[in-house]
Amino acid sequence: MSEAPIVEIRDLHKSYGATPVLRGCTMNVNRGEVVVVCGPSGSGKSTLIKCVNGLERYQSGSIKVEGIEVGAKDTDLPKLRSRIGMVFQHFELYPHMSVLKNLELAQVHVLKRSRAEAAERGRQLLKRVGLEAKADAMPVDLSGGQQQRVAIARALALDPQAILFDEPTSALDPEMIHEVLQVMTELATEGMTMMVVTHEMGFARRVANRVVFMDAGEIVENAGSEEFFSRPRTPRATEFLSKILSH
Amino acid sequence: MLDVITRNLPFLLAGLWTTIHLSIWTIVGGTLLGAVLGILRYVRFPVLGTASMLFIEFIRGTPLLVVLLITYFALPALLGYKTTAYNAALLGFILFTGAYIAEDFRAGLRSVRPGLIQAGLATGLTRWQVLRFVIAPQATRIVIPSLFNQYVRLLKFTSVASIIGVTELTGAALLINARDFHPVTLLGAVAVTYLVVCYALSMVGRVLYARFAVRT
Repeated sequence: MSEAPIVEIRDLHKSYGATPVLRGCTMNVNRGEVVVVCGPSGSGKSTLIKCVNGLERYQSGSIKVEGIEVGAKDTDLPKLRSRIGMVFQHFELYPHMSVLKNLELAQVHVLKRSRAEAAERGRQLLKRVGLEAKADAMPVDLSGGQQQRVAIARALALDPQAILFDEPTSALDPEMIHEVLQVMTELATEGMTMMVVTHEMGFARRVANRVVFMDAGEIVENAGSEEFFSRPRTPRATEFLSKILSH
Repeated sequence: MLDVITRNLPFLLAGLWTTIHLSIWTIVGGTLLGAVLGILRYVRFPVLGTASMLFIEFIRGTPLLVVLLITYFALPALLGYKTTAYNAALLGFILFTGAYIAEDFRAGLRSVRPGLIQAGLATGLTRWQVLRFVIAPQATRIVIPSLFNQYVRLLKFTSVASIIGVTELTGAALLINARDFHPVTLLGAVAVTYLVVCYALSMVGRVLYARFAVRT
């Protein structure tokens, strides 16, 4: 019931060697909010979202997830990560396990649920993403869109407080993008807190509460979605929107 | 001509049996050793990772015969224990094969996509859990052809044990030849036998790989 933001990013800096990737990013994701992070390739969006659950380290600044500093030495990262789901561009389903086993693994070994409980929860979630018939299939036998829906179910299996999406539709054929966005839209409607790196401006406009626009490692705009699309404040955002919306 | 084989068949078969169980024990021991060393290398475990690397480089830079001479003569003298030719050969083959298999395991572990590791970590699995449930099971399947390649190599290498006095297949043939002198027949039979056994072993590898390969 706390009103504090789930994710709180303050003046975040990161560089790979001498190359700066994030140059002082500050933003929040509040409970129940859908925040879309967009911007040109190489702007640091994916790096930023991977810093949130500690998959990438940062050099200075602060990220707090539910009040806990991600980069602190004594932070229990596995525990923190188990409360924040993540969906990847390339799905990253475990190829040697059936769909259902993919959903069970962390439930059993992180949340310590029994196999039976985990399987039941897994089947529920597969049903929810419309893939209950695929429980025993191997990931390779699914289409890209189906794999991504399984990946979303895998994230949901841990009953996360929020889900991070790192370009969830960028690796999909156009006809499969819709089925993934539809699942994401349903999640948003149910009140799931979501931070979404995406180029899907239609989704951003319809579903996001806020849009964060990044360029060259900086957060250039951070505005309500309606405001961002109708009245971008900076020339960089205007240019980005005109490029991405005109094609 | 062939009667040199038939007359000495029990002796040759006993040699073949020695070759086979020496190989099997080496496969078991070498695979375990290789898995442990490969994992230590892969996770860059402090001290032990470096020790593994040094051991692997030492073995790879040493002729097999010298390894066997070390385990037969040098190590017992150095550490003050008694050994038999068979046990010394077994230890030497395990060390030798384990070092090569370690590199195969390491390559297999490294071939697992980083994205899958991130996916495991992102669900809250620890690094060891990711290694155990996500990386190692895939690496084990990937590495099956290389493992069987090592096993086939090893099976042929066991003939070197004859030099320290193990009467395996080659050793048995050499002993008979020293008495009866039928080198063409004896070594021809020995060569064909190795060929058949090696072929069978690599077929097992192919069947296992076909059965367990990860489709991606």
